[in-house]
Amino acid sequence: MDRRLPPREGEWIDRSRPVKFRFEGAAYTGFAGDVLSSALWANDVRLLGRSFKYHRPRGIYSLAGHDANVMVEDGRRTNIRGDLLSIEPGLDVRSVNTSGGVERDRLQIIDWFGRFLPVGFYYKAFHTPRWLFPFYENRMRKVAGLGRIHPDNKYPPSPKDYAYCDLLVVGAGPAGLAGAIAAAEQGLQVLLVEEQPRPGGSLTWQWAGEPAADQHLFGLLEKVEAFDNIRIRCGTQVAGCYGDHWAALIDDDRLTKLRTKSMLVAAGCFEQPAVFQNNDLPGVMSASAAQRLIHLYAVKPFGKAVVLAANSDGYRAALDLHNAGVVVAALVDLRHDGEPTKLAQMVADVGIVSHTGHAVYEALPARGKKRICGAVICPLDRDGNPRTESSIRIDCDGIAISVGWTPNVGLIYQAGGRFHHAEQVEQLVPLELPAGLFAAGRANGVFDLGDQIDDGCRAGLAAAAHLDRFDGEIPDSPKHQVAAPTHPYPIFAHKRKKNFVDFDEDLHLQDFENAHQEGYDNIELMKRFTTVGMGPSQGKLSNINAIRILARLNGASINETGTTTSRPFHRPVPLGILAGRRFHPQRRTPMHNWHVQAGAEIMHAGAWLRPEYYKAGGQNRDDCILNEAANVRNNVGLIDVGTLGKLEINGPDAVRLLEHLYTGRFRKQQVGRLRYGLACDETGVIIDDGVIARLADDRFYVTATSSGAAAFYREMQRWALIFDMDVTLINATGQLVAMNIAGPNSREVLQELTESDLSKDGFPYLGVREGIVAGAPAKLMRVGFVGELGYEIHVPASYGLHVWTTLMQAGERFRIRPFGVEAQRLLRLEKGHLIVGQDTDALTNPYEADVAWAIGKNKPFFVGSRSLDIIQKKPTTRCLVGLAFGDDQPRPMPSECHLIIADGEIAGRITSIAPRSTLGHSIAMAFVTPELAAVGTRVKIRADDGCIVEAHVAKMPFYDPESTRQQ
Amino acid sequence: MKIITCPINGPRPLQEFHFGGEVRTMPDATAATDAEWADYVFNRSGEPGVKREWWYHVPSGTWFIAERDNCTDEFLRTYLYRAEHVDG
Amino acid sequence: MPYRLLKFALHKKHPEPRMFRAPAELRSEYDVVIIGGGGHGLAAAYYLAKDHGITNVAVLEKGYIGGGGTGRNTAIIRSNYLTKEGVNFYRGSVELFEDLSRELNINLFYSERGHFTLAHSPASLNTQRWRAEVNKHLGISSEVVGPEFIKRKVPEIDLKAGGHQAPIYGALYHPPGAIARHDAVAWGYARGADQRGVEIHQQTAVTDVEIRDDEVAGVHTDKGFIKTRKVLSAVAGWTTNITAMVGLRTPLVIHPLQALVTEPLKPWLNSIVVSASLHLYVSQSSRGELVAGASLDPYELISMRSTLDFAEGMSTGLLDLFPCLGDVKVLRQWAGLCDMTPDFSPIMGTTPIKGFYIDAGWGTWGFKATPISGKTMADTLANDHDHGLIEAFNLSRFKRFELVGEKGAASVGH
Repeated sequence: MDRRLPPREGEWIDRSRPVKFRFEGAAYTGFAGDVLSSALWANDVRLLGRSFKYHRPRGIYSLAGHDANVMVEDGRRTNIRGDLLSIEPGLDVRSVNTSGGVERDRLQIIDWFGRFLPVGFYYKAFHTPRWLFPFYENRMRKVAGLGRIHPDNKYPPSPKDYAYCDLLVVGAGPAGLAGAIAAAEQGLQVLLVEEQPRPGGSLTWQWAGEPAADQHLFGLLEKVEAFDNIRIRCGTQVAGCYGDHWAALIDDDRLTKLRTKSMLVAAGCFEQPAVFQNNDLPGVMSASAAQRLIHLYAVKPFGKAVVLAANSDGYRAALDLHNAGVVVAALVDLRHDGEPTKLAQMVADVGIVSHTGHAVYEALPARGKKRICGAVICPLDRDGNPRTESSIRIDCDGIAISVGWTPNVGLIYQAGGRFHHAEQVEQLVPLELPAGLFAAGRANGVFDLGDQIDDGCRAGLAAAAHLDRFDGEIPDSPKHQVAAPTHPYPIFAHKRKKNFVDFDEDLHLQDFENAHQEGYDNIELMKRFTTVGMGPSQGKLSNINAIRILARLNGASINETGTTTSRPFHRPVPLGILAGRRFHPQRRTPMHNWHVQAGAEIMHAGAWLRPEYYKAGGQNRDDCILNEAANVRNNVGLIDVGTLGKLEINGPDAVRLLEHLYTGRFRKQQVGRLRYGLACDETGVIIDDGVIARLADDRFYVTATSSGAAAFYREMQRWALIFDMDVTLINATGQLVAMNIAGPNSREVLQELTESDLSKDGFPYLGVREGIVAGAPAKLMRVGFVGELGYEIHVPASYGLHVWTTLMQAGERFRIRPFGVEAQRLLRLEKGHLIVGQDTDALTNPYEADVAWAIGKNKPFFVGSRSLDIIQKKPTTRCLVGLAFGDDQPRPMPSECHLIIADGEIAGRITSIAPRSTLGHSIAMAFVTPELAAVGTRVKIRADDGCIVEAHVAKMPFYDPESTRQQ
Repeated sequence: MKIITCPINGPRPLQEFHFGGEVRTMPDATAATDAEWADYVFNRSGEPGVKREWWYHVPSGTWFIAERDNCTDEFLRTYLYRAEHVDG
Repeated sequence: MPYRLLKFALHKKHPEPRMFRAPAELRSEYDVVIIGGGGHGLAAAYYLAKDHGITNVAVLEKGYIGGGGTGRNTAIIRSNYLTKEGVNFYRGSVELFEDLSRELNINLFYSERGHFTLAHSPASLNTQRWRAEVNKHLGISSEVVGPEFIKRKVPEIDLKAGGHQAPIYGALYHPPGAIARHDAVAWGYARGADQRGVEIHQQTAVTDVEIRDDEVAGVHTDKGFIKTRKVLSAVAGWTTNITAMVGLRTPLVIHPLQALVTEPLKPWLNSIVVSASLHLYVSQSSRGELVAGASLDPYELISMRSTLDFAEGMSTGLLDLFPCLGDVKVLRQWAGLCDMTPDFSPIMGTTPIKGFYIDAGWGTWGFKATPISGKTMADTLANDHDHGLIEAFNLSRFKRFELVGEKGAASVGH
């Protein structure tokens, strides 16, 4: 049956563009502009989904995304809301969480077992016997959950956006439009954001039946268009409001991060359900949903309807239904005194029978429960209790409910606003708004249409005044109307307990009474125990009724009962939109591409990319690394160490600062010489090390670890301030590159590129020189990290690639080869040099790491010294030593962090290990207990699978113990 | 994102900053007992209130002091360390 | 068929009694006052009554029970820590958790899922191996696994982590890693304590602790003064309020920690996945929601506000690991408070103030310790002496420079 109405003014569908789509395997046609729910309803498809727990049939409820009755998946996307999904050609969706489709869902049988499954039933059972719980949990997990993920789904990268404005207006209904205009008139830059595809808010559906309303809408929109300084964005939600007026705007494509100076929330209200037996079945919906069907999508909601009302909106809705050709069999008004306005007469004039002081007590399901076939109404006594003995049955296929509203003000809560329950309107209204935050319209408890517009205007002016753009008089908010538009307790008990308070979680009235009985009697405990408000609609339709029920059970007021916090997001937001394009900064040296061309296996070292090793002639990784290392020992190698921290410390207090920051002494360090620098934090833990080169009396050039450089520089700056040092500090890490040429032939290779004196006497070990290398201004340092004759060359980054390639060319006849991080680690291990962060951990002090020699004698103070004084008085618990392995070891060898075991106790761990070295045997560095630290001690290491590998403590350096090679 | 006012660069977004912990006054290392020194090194004043804190603007390498309410997250003022440094 | 559910059908009136009483009056004297009605405080009350027969106890909670960290955490339980002290301590907790549903007679949904700590570099893998070896030595099931194993257990994972950063080298795999229903832990302990005579007073705030001659004399509340000789502070993120009252200096700093939850999905993620480099952790609850968290907020703040920065960063990390989740929608984000220590181990036991006991420094590792902290703190209070399992965590360790370094084993970046 086609329920589509004839074309009407203001409809959102485009009848010139029919759209074919599929739902649950069946084909339907709708129009462009339809959402899935409206298109299906137009095709008289009412069974749109199944509820989470009981798998009860569900249809349209709010048609505004306030409920989660209609959730579908399309084989790629999941948990799509039917109310918010615009139909497109080719759409093919199925309901989530059914077993066998929405029509025949096998799990609907759970509805019969409701009496065994009261709220929190799963806390009461399934946990014993213990061994059976995993089975139960497995079954529960399969039944819980809604949509499925699709492992092959690729989400297109969604670039984020930024926006700025003076005033963000949330909601383009009458109050929002008026507020935007009033603010724009004062010159504010206004951004007006509307979550529906078109502006107008309640003017498009609640007032659409009235000619005056159309004029309002047209007039307001025209004015908005006329202002250059009002930007309007539809189809966009303000998902969350964060500190310093930072707001997340979400549309179908992207996240826009908005910085505004003020915010006006005019986002209206969520229409609230009445709680009665079977109030969740298809055909029972909020009156606003029926109005949206009629006015926006031109769909006749029902054939025959009962309207349940407690306000003027319900009467207006009854007239809309009547005018759309629906037989309104009854208008049931919870209020004993009925409707005070002329709407009462208008309804009577068209022949609709009103029953004042009555309630809908029960919706009667048709066979299979997939639609309703009638309503049972009862008179209410003076206390609001239904007198079921006088009930009347009315045939109908729809019940439209208009019993009250709750403001859509989550954003105000997030911004720190506070609310209280106002009895005049029986809803929460703002009590205290932080500076720069405003509310208007129904969100502010103002319901008369003219008043809403005035209230919006007031708020816009208030925003302008807040920003010092208006100093005129600002009117007060209009007084709340006489009759509250919200009924304080539209909730009726029923012994068969299918009167739902939370549709997402299938919670009925009795569930709350049970929870209260069990002691979950404050709003937070009740929420957590019942899970009310924790489903996909996050309580938009259930929180207020839950609070009312709890208040009544406690004999307390709403204000005493309180509310739960509102958290982002207003409507759920896809991870893909929050993630955007997922930038991951990378740092590369200028020689990066050269390394890649040369066959480097690139590794990540923090944000830096570095060559781990260079692939050569079909050899495996271990062979490549060993060969690179051997080539350094025998010929000459070149490594890119550009990731090193490079810091300049200049000025009269340079020495003083160095002596405060490092453990060593530098006062007497000669110009042109290097010293090792070891730095600790205030607790005496090693945090960095490097080389300290003196270029002049008051100029030092310092290297730091790649990973620690930024933090170390930062702390250096702070200490310079605290110690009141006259220094200039420069972090040149990115400005300069560094490479190390090492090996017996390194001097010859380098000499080809520089006029500097590289002779043994002219440039001794631990010297530093400034000169020109391959035309580049360079600092040259003779460091000993890998244990061969070698020079570390630091040049400006723009020269880096040139110097590198020139060195490689010059070194060809000396069999130069590049070497990577792994080869360097092997070479330095052979020399017994520790790597901070590898051979030290978050608690290692210099005594344990065998670098106490780097602590200057008789130094009055350095960072960490006082702590080290305390630490030194305590017995050492571990020592960093070298280990050597014999040839007769089982393979595989241990790895880093395998433990040393002595007498069944943990006695240390490996920190660095090289199963193969240029020495021909395996070596390692390890922490061991002091008892095991003596050279020659045999130690046992527990490797994989509990295998014990033996080694003995060896003196370091393993290679070239006299360090003659590097001199 | 939160905005912090760097004394040199003006209002900048939080992601440009590094938090350096509360301002602590180092006791005289030679005069302090072990217990006093350990208290300086490890103990903090973490209770609610307005705190004096170190903050660092990373892109410009600027350290400064902020007085901030550690419950409301309101920055009352920010200033360069040297400008207001009081000994002791 | 779980026969326990039958009674709901067979009784006309809902057959369940109150979980715990609502004592009307706060008495003027108790043997023990516990400040904090979260998991830890309630567990301590339970074990004081059960293990030591000390029942003249009041638990004072300024909000509602379990409303602090207990109600906000991402509910991961494991014992794969780095230090001997840590492992033994958390092992004790896991052992209690395994039988806790039965003991408290409430289904805590204690679900062993297997826990991965992903390593994105050789250095990180080394740290995981260190943990694995210490664990194995102490009899805890942990091992280092390679990418193929990870992919088998978690087929949806992208081993390249998006392709523009370090890939997954391997992981620490801890089969006993579990999740649980965190609120229910508080409720279960509350009922257990209440049944044994402990009084639980919600909406009761402590305004001061009375100390005379370095000894506890009583507690001032907004409902009157209580005379007592033993006070346990078990308020985690609110600890610095209490320590300020008693004038106790500690290293604690408070940082918010945020988390988010997605819409419910049909079950697909059976393991708990943590990335040490991406600083994120995620699991799928039995309701089907993905529950995820990341690293600490970068500065001290005693507020549970949410930030968009967190939601963005969290989403980036989740999609780096699970690229198919782009359409999965985030339902809600929230925050809790973490009282952080310099060594990522808790602060527990006696203090220089006689009669004042502290259970704090729970950072991002507090929920999993709920049962064992309750048990050991109860023992400590009963005997006025630190229980063996928590001796190393005494506040005095900082004075002695004897930190218990667990930074390598926390899920979160710092």
